[in-house]
Amino acid sequence: GPTHDTAEASQSKVQIRLTTRHSDIELPEDPGVLLVSTGLRRYALSSLVNNLLHTEKPIPFEFLINGQFLKTTIDEFLTANGISAESTLTVEYTRALIPPLHVASF
Amino acid sequence: LTHLDTTDILPSPETARALWLHHESTTHSLAQTLTEHLRLILAPTLATKLRGDFRTGKRLNLKRIIPYIASGYKRDKIWLRRSQPSKRAYQIMIALDDSRSMAESGAASLALKTLTLITRSLAMLEVGEVAVVGFGDEVKVAHEFDKPFTSEAGVDVFSQFGFQQQRTDVKKLVEKSLGLFQNARMSGVGRMEELWQLQLIISDGICDNHGDILRLVRRAQEQRIMVVFIVVDATASQAQEQAGADTIERPKAQDGRDKQSILDLQSVDITAEGKVVRWRYMDRFPFRWYLVVRDVVELPGVLATALRQWFAEVVDAAG
Ligand SMILES: [Mg+2]
Repeated sequence: GPTHDTAEASQSKVQIRLTTRHSDIELPEDPGVLLVSTGLRRYALSSLVNNLLHTEKPIPFEFLINGQFLKTTIDEFLTANGISAESTLTVEYTRALIPPLHVASF
Repeated sequence: LTHLDTTDILPSPETARALWLHHESTTHSLAQTLTEHLRLILAPTLATKLRGDFRTGKRLNLKRIIPYIASGYKRDKIWLRRSQPSKRAYQIMIALDDSRSMAESGAASLALKTLTLITRSLAMLEVGEVAVVGFGDEVKVAHEFDKPFTSEAGVDVFSQFGFQQQRTDVKKLVEKSLGLFQNARMSGVGRMEELWQLQLIISDGICDNHGDILRLVRRAQEQRIMVVFIVVDATASQAQEQAGADTIERPKAQDGRDKQSILDLQSVDITAEGKVVRWRYMDRFPFRWYLVVRDVVELPGVLATALRQWFAEVVDAAG
């Protein structure tokens, strides 16, 4: 819809490269560098990885940038960690292992 | 991954000079080739076409005969003449991407080489005025239209590029450029002649706000400003650059895995509902006239082709 277009237009983008240490969730085809909105959070990135994995039942993922878990938008993460959106980010994904209750207590 | 650098790293005058001289000498023969191409394209077109409508002339314009009779012999501009070649003047602005992604991807070196090639070639051509601007977060004029582009000017321009700006605001660039071109049109050499304005953007091509940019590029077109986007795609030139024992080149991106051609880059949009849409980034690139250059050797040919097509279109539109 129009609201979505406006939101997308005003957001800046960043190049990311997805990686994982777990062979069972490796991407079947390397999508290479992807240009995504810096407004994305864990949930949206999780949708992306599931899409690339062609999963039937979505797997919840966690994301690490520079070894730190992403708990905010990418934009907020970059600002908090002094990382430039002009860099290509290596984004590591892993199965979400922390139970929901634990997450809520953060 | 590189952390933000608060220090503004600009090359020292010595580095800027060494770098300029290096690029100037390595692109010298290419600059001559480009000059020859441009001479053919930018020189005023020879008056070989017959154009109407005049009261006297060389040959009758058959399309005007019936209206002439119908008007009771009043509409008598029925003759064709060989039109005089118009004296054209050019204002050419080169906009160089000064953002950090240029340094990270290794595109900065190829971009500086491209800038050198184009400015040397235009200086040889003596075709008009040349300006250079840098863009990233901000737009900065590095060389103004009314100053000649000498080798010293090249050194001075090089000393103003550090490729450390934290954003790539192409929208702001096009917006500001429209104003700069308008001012130049008022004060430039071309007041009495036919003035053509051309912008060459040299960048790695990664930018946001495509919708806004598209609108601004259309406005430029309405104001008869041609905008050519030269995408420097450093991926293929990497090996060659490194083989050339270039000690004064800027450092390359440290992570070799990060290099990928912009032609393979995919854009991703993820809706709030989690729907994923992917497309090839260049498929929705907002500039109509763009070239992807992987090696500076390709530039004379592709740039000439783009300019030739554009001129053909403009001449067509003018009737
Ligand atoms: Mg950039």
